[in-house]
Amino acid sequence: MAVTPQTVEDLAHAGRSRGGWWSVVADFIRRRPLGAIGAAIILVMVFLAATAELIAPYDPLATDYAAMLAAPNKTHWLGTDAYGRDVLSRMVYGSRTALMVGLGASLLGAVFGSMIGVASAYFGGRVDLVVQRVMDVFFAFPVIILALAVVAVLGTGAGNVILAIATPMIPRCARVVRASALSVREMPYVDAARAAGFVHSRIILRHMLPNVMAPILIMATAFLGEAILLEASLSFLGLGVTEPTAAWGLMLRGAAVEFAESAPWMAVFPGLAISLAVFGFNLFGDSLRDALDPRLRTQ
Amino acid sequence: MRAGMTGYILKRLLLIIPTLFGVAVLIFLLLRVVPGDVVEARYMGQGGQFQSQEQMQLERKKLGLDQPMWKQFTTWMAGIARLDFGLSMWTGSPITEEIKLRFALSLQLAIMASTVATLLAIPLGILAAIKQDTWVDYAVRVFSIAGLAMPSFWLGILMILCMLIIFKWLPPMVFTPFWVNPWENLAQLFWPALAVGYRYSAVGTRMMRSAMLEVLREDYIRTARAKGLWMKLILSRHAMKNAILPVLTIISLEFAFLLGGLVVTEQVFNLNGLGMLFVEAIARRDYTLTQALVMLVATTFLIVNFAVDIAYAWLDPRIRYR
Repeated sequence: MAVTPQTVEDLAHAGRSRGGWWSVVADFIRRRPLGAIGAAIILVMVFLAATAELIAPYDPLATDYAAMLAAPNKTHWLGTDAYGRDVLSRMVYGSRTALMVGLGASLLGAVFGSMIGVASAYFGGRVDLVVQRVMDVFFAFPVIILALAVVAVLGTGAGNVILAIATPMIPRCARVVRASALSVREMPYVDAARAAGFVHSRIILRHMLPNVMAPILIMATAFLGEAILLEASLSFLGLGVTEPTAAWGLMLRGAAVEFAESAPWMAVFPGLAISLAVFGFNLFGDSLRDALDPRLRTQ
Repeated sequence: MRAGMTGYILKRLLLIIPTLFGVAVLIFLLLRVVPGDVVEARYMGQGGQFQSQEQMQLERKKLGLDQPMWKQFTTWMAGIARLDFGLSMWTGSPITEEIKLRFALSLQLAIMASTVATLLAIPLGILAAIKQDTWVDYAVRVFSIAGLAMPSFWLGILMILCMLIIFKWLPPMVFTPFWVNPWENLAQLFWPALAVGYRYSAVGTRMMRSAMLEVLREDYIRTARAKGLWMKLILSRHAMKNAILPVLTIISLEFAFLLGGLVVTEQVFNLNGLGMLFVEAIARRDYTLTQALVMLVATTFLIVNFAVDIAYAWLDPRIRYR
């Protein structure tokens, strides 16, 4: 079982020895074509979100009652919705909402999840036991049910949706990070830090957290796709981002289903955008995991 | 039965109780943090008619909402201990009646979707593992990652759209129990099961693939190949047996969540299942019904989890009981 040189060190070394970012990028593309496709999709999405004002042909909120439910044509490339709003423009602006909610939720989930996970592993004993039991409680809820419950408490809107999506992610991240942190806790340098009399928070944040960064990063990218999907689901139910904000899930709601037969562009394109975005994050996350997780190296 | 097993089973069973209690406390508090209650929700629904405060207080008293929280909680807990979930605050009919009808639909859908997921995941995972790093492997991986990426509600919309445009036919919109008209029933539930099953097969496929890859590197597989056994036989007799366990685990764990978590898919296919009921119950601030639904899903999940653990300990002699 030969260990193929497809690891992070390799990627990092490639950058240093052969010089330049380009060789790193070229290396990544050659070694992990699927991951490169994912990264490309993500880059396009980020670009669209950043430059929405310049790219979108129309204001995403501008209604045109003369052109309601217009089929794709020269002026409206992807058609218009029931209010005469340009579907393409709404999709471009929708990438902003998706990225914002996705990044916000996975960042929040990863930060709190990893802190809880590392702290739980570090303190061990009774603290660990209690934290694990509390996590068990959260695990017994289906993700969407927990998110819905949080939305019911906080109300709809982008900010609350971020919190609602982060909530079910925190225990999932905590569990994975705790498992890695348990082995880090046994490392001599943690003992050394303890012997040196550092406070708990310093040991947790400065000594343990950096060493479980790999699983955190993997979880966070995996969350990103999931969070975008969850946001779309919540918005589709009318319990996520609220009208008139441009959001993909919201675009699939109501009229898109009602007029699916006569105006299929309304139902097809936003769904395509969701799928592509999540697809991109999943592909990238997968390659990242393969690269960072030594156990999966040869697979 | 091996020694220690009984103790292990008992311990795991006892652990379910505090978790369920935690779930109960959490959902009880979450619901009551929200401003407004079922009485307000009902009057809002009646065209915003202004009701006198006294009348609303009277309603609250009837529902027991005027009592202090701890009292409401203990009443609820005492009911659960007797397996009495009480009455729906909105409709006033027993919760078991409310849930019964929807449960049949959700259970059938969950079973069908899990079947689809299993039937997709196992052969695809094996195929990808045997043909590792070829275009077949890549195609299977893209197919499964795409399954994870496509929202099942969008897949549902596309399915309905295709059927409408190509076949000019729509799946029936009213639920018919299987025993009344099996054909009608399957015609309705097949499509949502496919949409959901495809999505859940993705994780299984990837797991099957990596488990197969791991198993195929084991010494006993090499021995079997060295003996000159057919690859087909090796796969079915030696490799699959060991690789299939984690896949079945993940699919059975998902099962409990399929039961109550298909909120969006149910909406698209107009299915009146537990997920829809949950959204309705939350919107109406129907505390008793929401609580009962959450407890139902959580209990199912914990029991499936427990069963999987026990099955593992039973099947795999390497696992020790702690």
